[in-house]
Amino acid sequence: MPSKTIAIDLDDTLNNFSETLARTRFEYDASYGMDEDTFSRHLERLRSGAKDESELLSTQYSFLRYRIHQRCYELSRPTADGVNFMRALRSDGWRIVICTHRDLRRANACTRRWLDDNKIPFDYLFMAWNKIVFCRAWAIEHLVDDDPFNIRFGTTHGVNVYYPLTERNRGIDPSGARGFSQFDEVRRWIER
Amino acid sequence: MDRKIALIREYYQGLPKDRAKVETRRHGFAFLEGLLAGGATLEYGELTLTGLLHKYKLSHLSETMMSQLLRWHLSGECNVCLYFDDRANNLLCFNLDNNHKVNNTVVIPEMALAVEVLRDLLEDHGCRPLVLASGRGYHVWCRLDATVENGLIYTFMLRLAAKTVARLHAAGRDPSRIKFNLYPDRRIRDTVSLRLFGSLHAKNRLFSRVLTPAGLVDEEASWALFEEHLCRGTTGAGSFRAACTLLDGQFQGPGTARSFS
Repeated sequence: MPSKTIAIDLDDTLNNFSETLARTRFEYDASYGMDEDTFSRHLERLRSGAKDESELLSTQYSFLRYRIHQRCYELSRPTADGVNFMRALRSDGWRIVICTHRDLRRANACTRRWLDDNKIPFDYLFMAWNKIVFCRAWAIEHLVDDDPFNIRFGTTHGVNVYYPLTERNRGIDPSGARGFSQFDEVRRWIER
Repeated sequence: MDRKIALIREYYQGLPKDRAKVETRRHGFAFLEGLLAGGATLEYGELTLTGLLHKYKLSHLSETMMSQLLRWHLSGECNVCLYFDDRANNLLCFNLDNNHKVNNTVVIPEMALAVEVLRDLLEDHGCRPLVLASGRGYHVWCRLDATVENGLIYTFMLRLAAKTVARLHAAGRDPSRIKFNLYPDRRIRDTVSLRLFGSLHAKNRLFSRVLTPAGLVDEEASWALFEEHLCRGTTGAGSFRAACTLLDGQFQGPGTARSFS
Protein backbone atom coordinates (compact mmCIF):
# COMPACT_ATOMS: atom_id res chain seq x y z
CA MET A 1 0.00 0.00 0.00
CA PRO A 2 1.51 3.38 -0.95
CA SER A 3 2.45 5.53 2.03
CA LYS A 4 2.44 8.76 0.04
CA THR A 5 -0.70 10.21 -1.50
CA ILE A 6 -1.17 13.29 -3.64
CA ALA A 7 -4.32 14.89 -5.10
CA ILE A 8 -4.06 16.64 -8.45
CA ASP A 9 -6.52 18.84 -10.29
CA LEU A 10 -7.09 18.54 -14.03
CA ASP A 11 -8.39 21.72 -15.62
CA ASP A 12 -5.79 24.47 -15.97
CA THR A 13 -3.41 22.41 -13.85
CA LEU A 14 -2.70 19.38 -16.04
CA ASN A 15 -4.28 20.83 -19.19
CA ASN A 16 -5.03 24.11 -20.98
CA PHE A 17 -8.79 24.13 -20.38
CA SER A 18 -9.33 27.93 -20.26
CA GLU A 19 -7.28 28.48 -23.39
CA THR A 20 -9.28 25.77 -25.14
CA LEU A 21 -12.57 27.35 -24.08
CA ALA A 22 -11.43 30.77 -25.24
CA ARG A 23 -9.97 29.77 -28.60
CA THR A 24 -12.03 26.86 -29.90
CA ARG A 25 -14.60 27.59 -32.55
CA PHE A 26 -17.83 25.89 -31.45
CA GLU A 27 -20.25 25.39 -34.30
CA TYR A 28 -23.93 25.91 -33.63
CA ASP A 29 -26.35 23.10 -34.31
CA ALA A 30 -29.98 22.47 -33.42
CA SER A 31 -29.09 19.81 -30.84
CA TYR A 32 -28.29 22.62 -28.40
CA GLY A 33 -32.05 23.20 -28.20
CA MET A 34 -31.88 26.96 -28.74
CA ASP A 35 -31.67 29.39 -31.63
CA GLU A 36 -28.29 30.53 -32.95
CA ASP A 37 -28.43 34.00 -31.39
CA THR A 38 -29.11 32.56 -27.95
CA PHE A 39 -26.30 30.06 -28.49
CA SER A 40 -23.85 32.85 -29.33
CA ARG A 41 -24.96 34.96 -26.39
CA HIS A 42 -24.66 32.08 -23.93
CA LEU A 43 -21.29 31.07 -25.34
CA GLU A 44 -19.98 34.60 -24.88
CA ARG A 45 -21.18 34.59 -21.27
CA LEU A 46 -19.57 31.22 -20.67
CA ARG A 47 -16.25 32.42 -22.04
CA SER A 48 -16.34 35.55 -19.91
CA GLY A 49 -16.75 33.40 -16.80
CA ALA A 50 -20.15 34.91 -15.99
CA LYS A 51 -22.05 33.22 -13.19
CA ASP A 52 -25.30 31.44 -13.93
CA GLU A 53 -27.74 33.76 -12.20
CA SER A 54 -30.85 31.67 -12.77
CA GLU A 55 -32.61 30.41 -9.67
CA LEU A 56 -33.07 27.11 -11.49
CA LEU A 57 -30.60 24.22 -11.70
CA SER A 58 -31.29 22.96 -15.20
CA THR A 59 -31.61 25.67 -17.81
CA GLN A 60 -30.72 26.24 -21.46
CA TYR A 61 -27.53 27.89 -20.26
CA SER A 62 -26.53 25.03 -17.94
CA PHE A 63 -27.08 22.58 -20.79
CA LEU A 64 -24.91 24.60 -23.16
CA ARG A 65 -22.21 24.91 -20.47
CA TYR A 66 -22.19 21.15 -20.01
CA ARG A 67 -21.91 20.52 -23.75
CA ILE A 68 -19.16 23.08 -24.31
CA HIS A 69 -17.17 22.07 -21.26
CA GLN A 70 -17.40 18.44 -22.30
CA ARG A 71 -15.92 19.36 -25.66
CA CYS A 72 -13.13 21.30 -23.97
CA TYR A 73 -12.30 18.30 -21.79
CA GLU A 74 -11.77 16.32 -24.98
CA LEU A 75 -9.87 18.99 -26.89
CA SER A 76 -7.62 20.39 -24.18
CA ARG A 77 -3.92 19.58 -24.35
CA PRO A 78 -1.90 18.28 -21.42
CA THR A 79 1.02 20.30 -20.16
CA ALA A 80 4.13 18.37 -21.15
CA ASP A 81 5.90 18.67 -17.84
CA GLY A 82 2.64 17.80 -16.06
CA VAL A 83 2.55 14.46 -17.84
CA ASN A 84 6.17 13.80 -16.95
CA PHE A 85 5.45 14.76 -13.34
CA MET A 86 2.59 12.26 -13.13
CA ARG A 87 4.74 9.49 -14.58
CA ALA A 88 7.49 10.31 -12.11
CA LEU A 89 5.00 10.15 -9.23
CA ARG A 90 4.01 6.67 -10.38
CA SER A 91 7.65 5.59 -10.60
CA ASP A 92 8.26 6.95 -7.12
CA GLY A 93 5.42 4.92 -5.64
CA TRP A 94 2.89 7.69 -4.98
CA ARG A 95 -0.83 6.98 -4.75
CA ILE A 96 -2.34 9.45 -7.23
CA VAL A 97 -5.84 10.85 -6.85
CA ILE A 98 -7.22 13.00 -9.63
CA CYS A 99 -9.44 15.52 -7.86
CA THR A 100 -11.66 17.69 -10.03
CA HIS A 101 -14.69 19.95 -10.07
CA ARG A 102 -15.89 18.21 -13.23
CA ASP A 103 -19.28 16.55 -13.00
CA LEU A 104 -17.98 13.02 -13.36
CA ARG A 105 -21.46 11.57 -13.72
CA ARG A 106 -21.25 12.86 -17.26
CA ALA A 107 -17.53 13.41 -17.72
CA ASN A 108 -16.17 10.15 -16.31
CA ALA A 109 -15.77 8.39 -19.65
CA CYS A 110 -14.20 11.30 -21.54
CA THR A 111 -11.92 12.12 -18.61
CA ARG A 112 -10.67 8.55 -18.41
CA ARG A 113 -10.21 8.46 -22.18
CA TRP A 114 -8.19 11.69 -22.10
CA LEU A 115 -5.97 10.43 -19.28
CA ASP A 116 -5.47 7.15 -21.06
CA ASP A 117 -4.77 8.78 -24.45
CA ASN A 118 -2.13 10.94 -22.82
CA LYS A 119 -0.72 8.04 -20.79
CA ILE A 120 -1.24 9.87 -17.52
CA PRO A 121 -1.19 7.41 -14.62
CA PHE A 122 -3.56 7.71 -11.68
CA ASP A 123 -5.19 5.51 -9.06
CA TYR A 124 -8.54 7.12 -8.35
CA LEU A 125 -10.79 9.75 -9.87
CA PHE A 126 -12.79 11.96 -7.51
CA MET A 127 -15.04 14.96 -7.90
CA ALA A 128 -15.10 17.33 -4.95
CA TRP A 129 -16.43 20.85 -4.69
CA ASN A 130 -14.37 21.48 -1.58
CA LYS A 131 -10.99 19.91 -2.20
CA ILE A 132 -9.58 21.02 1.14
CA VAL A 133 -12.30 19.10 2.97
CA PHE A 134 -11.69 16.15 0.66
CA CYS A 135 -7.95 16.11 1.34
CA ARG A 136 -8.51 16.42 5.07
CA ALA A 137 -11.11 13.63 5.10
CA TRP A 138 -8.86 11.31 3.13
CA ALA A 139 -5.66 12.32 4.95
CA ILE A 140 -4.04 13.59 1.76
CA GLU A 141 -1.23 16.00 2.58
CA HIS A 142 -0.53 17.39 -0.88
CA LEU A 143 -2.81 19.08 -3.41
CA VAL A 144 -1.77 20.50 -6.79
CA ASP A 145 -4.49 22.89 -7.88
CA ASP A 146 -5.02 26.28 -9.50
CA ASP A 147 -8.21 27.26 -7.66
CA PRO A 148 -7.75 30.57 -5.77
CA PHE A 149 -9.88 29.28 -2.87
CA ASN A 150 -7.57 26.32 -2.31
CA ILE A 151 -4.47 28.47 -2.74
CA ARG A 152 -5.69 30.88 -0.07
CA PHE A 153 -7.11 28.43 2.45
CA GLY A 154 -5.41 25.06 1.94
CA THR A 155 -2.33 25.57 4.08
CA THR A 156 -4.25 27.03 7.00
CA HIS A 157 -6.30 23.83 7.04
CA GLY A 158 -3.28 21.54 6.95
CA VAL A 159 -3.10 20.78 3.22
CA ASN A 160 0.08 21.65 1.31
CA VAL A 161 -1.12 23.36 -1.86
CA TYR A 162 1.02 23.84 -4.97
CA TYR A 163 -0.32 25.94 -7.81
CA PRO A 164 0.74 26.82 -11.34
CA LEU A 165 1.69 30.49 -11.63
CA THR A 166 -0.80 31.93 -14.08
CA GLU A 167 -2.20 35.39 -14.79
CA ARG A 168 -5.37 34.48 -12.89
CA ASN A 169 -3.69 33.61 -9.63
CA ARG A 170 -0.60 35.82 -9.64
CA GLY A 171 -2.21 38.42 -7.34
CA ILE A 172 -3.59 35.97 -4.79
CA ASP A 173 -2.29 35.92 -1.25
CA PRO A 174 -0.86 32.38 -1.20
CA SER A 175 -1.01 32.05 2.60
CA GLY A 176 1.70 29.42 2.55
CA ALA A 177 0.77 27.74 -0.75
CA ARG A 178 3.64 27.49 -3.22
CA GLY A 179 3.41 28.67 -6.81
CA PHE A 180 5.43 26.89 -9.46
CA SER A 181 6.50 27.49 -13.04
CA GLN A 182 7.58 23.91 -13.68
CA PHE A 183 6.24 20.70 -12.16
CA ASP A 184 9.80 19.71 -11.28
CA GLU A 185 9.63 22.27 -8.48
CA VAL A 186 6.65 20.44 -6.95
CA ARG A 187 8.47 17.15 -7.18
CA ARG A 188 11.36 18.56 -5.19
CA TRP A 189 9.05 20.06 -2.55
CA ILE A 190 6.98 16.95 -1.93
CA GLU A 191 9.97 14.63 -1.72
CA ARG A 192 11.48 16.57 1.17
CA MET B 1 -33.96 -7.94 7.36
CA ASP B 2 -33.74 -11.04 5.14
CA ARG B 3 -37.41 -10.68 4.18
CA LYS B 4 -36.84 -7.05 3.17
CA ILE B 5 -33.71 -7.92 1.20
CA ALA B 6 -35.69 -10.58 -0.65
CA LEU B 7 -38.39 -8.03 -1.51
CA ILE B 8 -35.82 -5.53 -2.75
CA ARG B 9 -34.08 -8.17 -4.84
CA GLU B 10 -37.37 -9.31 -6.36
CA TYR B 11 -38.68 -5.83 -7.11
CA TYR B 12 -35.47 -4.68 -8.80
CA GLN B 13 -34.64 -8.10 -10.22
CA GLY B 14 -34.39 -6.72 -13.78
CA LEU B 15 -31.73 -4.09 -13.01
CA PRO B 16 -28.05 -5.02 -13.40
CA LYS B 17 -26.40 -5.85 -10.08
CA ASP B 18 -22.81 -5.72 -11.23
CA ARG B 19 -22.66 -1.93 -10.92
CA ALA B 20 -24.07 0.55 -8.46
CA LYS B 21 -23.72 3.99 -6.99
CA VAL B 22 -23.17 3.82 -3.25
CA GLU B 23 -23.95 6.84 -1.07
CA THR B 24 -22.40 6.83 2.38
CA ARG B 25 -20.61 8.94 4.92
CA ARG B 26 -17.92 6.29 5.15
CA HIS B 27 -14.68 7.22 3.42
CA GLY B 28 -10.94 6.79 3.44
CA PHE B 29 -8.62 4.48 1.56
CA ALA B 30 -9.11 1.54 3.93
CA PHE B 31 -12.87 1.67 3.42
CA LEU B 32 -12.50 2.11 -0.35
CA GLU B 33 -10.08 -0.78 -0.62
CA GLY B 34 -12.59 -2.91 1.29
CA LEU B 35 -15.26 -2.04 -1.25
CA LEU B 36 -12.93 -3.02 -4.07
CA ALA B 37 -11.54 -6.16 -2.43
CA GLY B 38 -13.83 -8.53 -4.33
CA GLY B 39 -12.65 -7.30 -7.72
CA ALA B 40 -14.90 -4.24 -8.04
CA THR B 41 -13.68 -1.12 -9.82
CA LEU B 42 -14.16 2.45 -8.70
CA GLU B 43 -15.25 4.41 -11.78
CA TYR B 44 -15.22 7.61 -9.76
CA GLY B 45 -15.87 8.90 -6.28
CA GLU B 46 -17.46 12.10 -5.11
CA LEU B 47 -17.42 14.20 -2.00
CA THR B 48 -20.76 16.01 -2.06
CA LEU B 49 -21.60 19.34 -0.49
CA THR B 50 -23.66 17.58 2.19
CA GLY B 51 -21.32 17.14 5.13
CA LEU B 52 -19.05 14.18 4.52
CA LEU B 53 -21.47 12.36 2.27
CA HIS B 54 -19.53 10.43 -0.36
CA LYS B 55 -20.73 8.68 -3.49
CA TYR B 56 -18.86 5.83 -5.18
CA LYS B 57 -19.71 4.58 -8.63
CA LEU B 58 -18.68 0.94 -8.64
CA SER B 59 -18.59 -1.60 -11.44
CA HIS B 60 -17.68 -5.29 -11.64
CA LEU B 61 -19.38 -5.86 -8.30
CA SER B 62 -19.49 -9.43 -7.10
CA GLU B 63 -22.68 -11.04 -5.89
CA THR B 64 -21.17 -11.16 -2.40
CA MET B 65 -20.44 -7.45 -2.35
CA MET B 66 -23.88 -6.57 -3.71
CA SER B 67 -25.45 -8.62 -0.90
CA GLN B 68 -23.32 -6.72 1.60
CA LEU B 69 -24.33 -3.40 0.09
CA LEU B 70 -28.02 -4.31 0.26
CA ARG B 71 -27.64 -5.16 3.94
CA TRP B 72 -25.99 -1.79 4.51
CA HIS B 73 -28.76 -0.16 2.46
CA LEU B 74 -31.39 -1.51 4.83
CA SER B 75 -29.40 -0.84 8.00
CA GLY B 76 -28.89 2.80 7.00
CA GLU B 77 -25.13 2.57 6.50
CA CYS B 78 -25.37 3.41 2.82
CA ASN B 79 -27.83 3.91 0.01
CA VAL B 80 -27.61 1.66 -3.02
CA CYS B 81 -28.57 3.22 -6.34
CA LEU B 82 -28.83 1.05 -9.44
CA TYR B 83 -28.44 1.73 -13.14
CA PHE B 84 -30.78 0.46 -15.82
CA ASP B 85 -30.00 -2.18 -18.39
CA ASP B 86 -28.55 -0.83 -21.63
CA ARG B 87 -31.07 -2.51 -23.94
CA ALA B 88 -34.30 -3.59 -22.26
CA ASN B 89 -35.93 -3.30 -18.86
CA ASN B 90 -38.96 -4.43 -16.92
CA LEU B 91 -38.95 -1.29 -14.80
CA LEU B 92 -39.44 2.32 -15.67
CA CYS B 93 -39.21 5.38 -13.47
CA PHE B 94 -40.07 9.04 -13.83
CA ASN B 95 -37.74 11.04 -11.60
CA LEU B 96 -39.41 14.35 -10.78
CA ASP B 97 -37.09 16.85 -9.10
CA ASN B 98 -37.63 20.34 -7.78
CA ASN B 99 -35.44 22.34 -10.19
CA HIS B 100 -34.50 25.16 -7.83
CA LYS B 101 -30.97 25.72 -6.59
CA VAL B 102 -32.06 26.45 -3.04
CA ASN B 103 -34.78 25.14 -0.76
CA ASN B 104 -35.41 22.36 -3.24
CA THR B 105 -36.74 19.73 -0.87
CA VAL B 106 -40.02 21.64 -0.63
CA VAL B 107 -42.98 20.16 -2.51
CA ILE B 108 -43.92 23.08 -4.75
CA PRO B 109 -47.40 23.28 -6.34
CA GLU B 110 -46.00 22.23 -9.72
CA MET B 111 -44.62 19.06 -8.18
CA ALA B 112 -47.83 18.18 -6.40
CA LEU B 113 -49.84 18.67 -9.59
CA ALA B 114 -47.34 16.87 -11.81
CA VAL B 115 -47.29 13.72 -9.72
CA GLU B 116 -51.08 13.67 -9.53
CA VAL B 117 -51.43 14.11 -13.31
CA LEU B 118 -48.76 11.53 -14.02
CA ARG B 119 -50.36 8.99 -11.70
CA ASP B 120 -53.70 9.44 -13.51
CA LEU B 121 -52.09 9.23 -16.96
CA LEU B 122 -50.25 6.03 -16.09
CA GLU B 123 -53.40 4.43 -14.72
CA ASP B 124 -55.31 5.53 -17.84
CA HIS B 125 -52.68 3.61 -19.82
CA GLY B 126 -52.91 0.48 -17.71
CA CYS B 127 -49.81 1.04 -15.55
CA ARG B 128 -50.18 1.21 -11.80
CA PRO B 129 -47.42 3.39 -10.38
CA LEU B 130 -45.61 3.22 -7.06
CA VAL B 131 -44.75 6.78 -6.06
CA LEU B 132 -41.85 7.25 -3.62
CA ALA B 133 -40.67 10.41 -1.90
CA SER B 134 -37.17 11.00 -3.22
CA GLY B 135 -35.83 14.07 -1.44
CA ARG B 136 -36.23 16.72 -4.13
CA GLY B 137 -39.48 15.25 -5.43
CA TYR B 138 -40.77 11.84 -6.35
CA HIS B 139 -39.78 8.67 -8.14
CA VAL B 140 -42.73 7.22 -10.03
CA TRP B 141 -42.03 3.52 -10.69
CA CYS B 142 -43.90 1.04 -12.88
CA ARG B 143 -43.14 -2.68 -13.20
CA LEU B 144 -43.69 -4.87 -16.24
CA ASP B 145 -43.94 -8.66 -16.24
CA ALA B 146 -41.29 -8.95 -18.97
CA THR B 147 -38.55 -6.77 -20.36
CA VAL B 148 -39.38 -4.30 -23.10
CA GLU B 149 -36.83 -2.59 -25.33
CA ASN B 150 -35.67 0.77 -23.99
CA GLY B 151 -36.66 2.76 -27.08
CA LEU B 152 -40.31 1.85 -26.68
CA ILE B 153 -40.31 2.53 -22.93
CA TYR B 154 -38.61 5.88 -23.43
CA THR B 155 -41.05 7.04 -26.10
CA PHE B 156 -43.97 6.06 -23.87
CA MET B 157 -42.51 7.98 -20.95
CA LEU B 158 -41.60 11.02 -23.02
CA ARG B 159 -45.17 11.26 -24.26
CA LEU B 160 -46.67 11.00 -20.80
CA ALA B 161 -44.16 13.57 -19.55
CA ALA B 162 -45.20 15.88 -22.42
CA LYS B 163 -48.85 15.44 -21.49
CA THR B 164 -48.01 16.21 -17.85
CA VAL B 165 -46.12 19.36 -18.83
CA ALA B 166 -49.06 20.43 -21.02
CA ARG B 167 -51.44 19.99 -18.08
CA LEU B 168 -49.17 22.07 -15.85
CA HIS B 169 -49.08 24.77 -18.49
CA ALA B 170 -52.84 24.68 -18.89
CA ALA B 171 -53.21 25.06 -15.12
CA GLY B 172 -51.09 28.22 -15.20
CA ARG B 173 -48.07 26.55 -13.59
CA ASP B 174 -44.46 26.92 -14.72
CA PRO B 175 -43.16 23.50 -15.84
CA SER B 176 -39.54 24.69 -15.75
CA ARG B 177 -39.74 24.70 -11.94
CA ILE B 178 -39.60 20.92 -12.00
CA LYS B 179 -37.28 18.61 -13.87
CA PHE B 180 -38.21 15.29 -15.43
CA ASN B 181 -35.63 12.56 -15.86
CA LEU B 182 -36.80 9.39 -17.52
CA TYR B 183 -35.35 5.95 -16.83
CA PRO B 184 -34.35 4.13 -18.93
CA ASP B 185 -32.95 6.82 -21.21
CA ARG B 186 -30.27 5.69 -23.64
CA ARG B 187 -28.51 9.07 -23.43
CA ILE B 188 -27.92 8.76 -19.69
CA ARG B 189 -28.06 5.01 -19.17
CA ASP B 190 -24.59 4.87 -17.69
CA THR B 191 -24.73 8.31 -16.12
CA VAL B 192 -27.55 8.32 -13.64
CA SER B 193 -28.81 5.77 -11.17
CA LEU B 194 -31.82 5.61 -8.89
CA ARG B 195 -31.89 4.96 -5.17
CA LEU B 196 -33.66 1.79 -4.20
CA PHE B 197 -36.65 1.76 -1.88
CA GLY B 198 -36.10 1.06 1.81
CA SER B 199 -33.45 3.63 2.71
CA LEU B 200 -33.02 7.10 4.12
CA HIS B 201 -32.42 10.02 1.78
CA ALA B 202 -28.76 10.98 1.92
CA LYS B 203 -29.42 14.66 2.63
CA ASN B 204 -32.63 14.90 4.62
CA ARG B 205 -32.41 11.41 6.23
CA LEU B 206 -36.09 10.77 5.53
CA PHE B 207 -37.28 7.29 4.62
CA SER B 208 -38.35 6.63 1.03
CA ARG B 209 -42.04 6.81 1.95
CA VAL B 210 -44.79 5.86 -0.45
CA LEU B 211 -47.08 8.65 -1.66
CA THR B 212 -50.70 7.53 -2.03
CA PRO B 213 -53.45 9.79 -3.40
CA ALA B 214 -54.25 10.51 0.25
CA GLY B 215 -50.68 11.52 1.11
CA LEU B 216 -47.39 10.08 2.36
CA VAL B 217 -47.62 6.97 4.53
CA ASP B 218 -45.22 5.89 7.26
CA GLU B 219 -42.31 3.44 6.92
CA GLU B 220 -44.24 0.32 7.88
CA ALA B 221 -47.15 1.10 5.58
CA SER B 222 -44.65 1.96 2.82
CA TRP B 223 -43.12 -1.52 3.06
CA ALA B 224 -46.60 -3.03 2.84
CA LEU B 225 -47.45 -0.97 -0.24
CA PHE B 226 -44.09 -1.80 -1.79
CA GLU B 227 -44.79 -5.51 -1.37
CA GLU B 228 -48.33 -5.06 -2.63
CA HIS B 229 -47.05 -3.28 -5.73
CA LEU B 230 -44.63 -6.12 -6.35
CA CYS B 231 -47.38 -8.74 -6.04
CA ARG B 232 -50.28 -6.96 -7.72
CA GLY B 233 -49.01 -3.80 -9.38
CA THR B 234 -47.13 -5.34 -12.28
CA THR B 235 -48.33 -4.53 -15.79
CA GLY B 236 -48.32 -7.11 -18.54
CA ALA B 237 -45.75 -6.34 -21.23
CA GLY B 238 -48.44 -7.01 -23.84
CA SER B 239 -50.77 -4.44 -22.29
CA PHE B 240 -47.89 -2.00 -22.12
CA ARG B 241 -47.14 -2.43 -25.82
CA ALA B 242 -50.82 -1.87 -26.59
CA ALA B 243 -50.75 1.36 -24.55
CA CYS B 244 -47.69 2.46 -26.54
CA THR B 245 -49.57 1.84 -29.79
CA LEU B 246 -52.50 3.86 -28.50
CA LEU B 247 -50.18 6.75 -27.71
CA ASP B 248 -48.61 6.46 -31.19
CA GLY B 249 -52.01 7.25 -32.65
CA GLN B 250 -52.43 10.30 -30.42
CA PHE B 251 -49.03 11.73 -31.23
CA GLN B 252 -48.85 11.05 -34.95
CA GLY B 253 -52.30 11.97 -36.15
CA PRO B 254 -53.65 15.38 -37.11
CA GLY B 255 -54.21 17.73 -34.18
CA THR B 256 -51.26 16.32 -32.26
CA ALA B 257 -50.81 19.48 -30.22
CA ARG B 258 -54.40 19.25 -28.94
CA SER B 259 -53.99 15.63 -27.97
CA PHE B 260 -51.25 16.58 -25.46
CA SER B 261 -53.85 17.87 -23.05
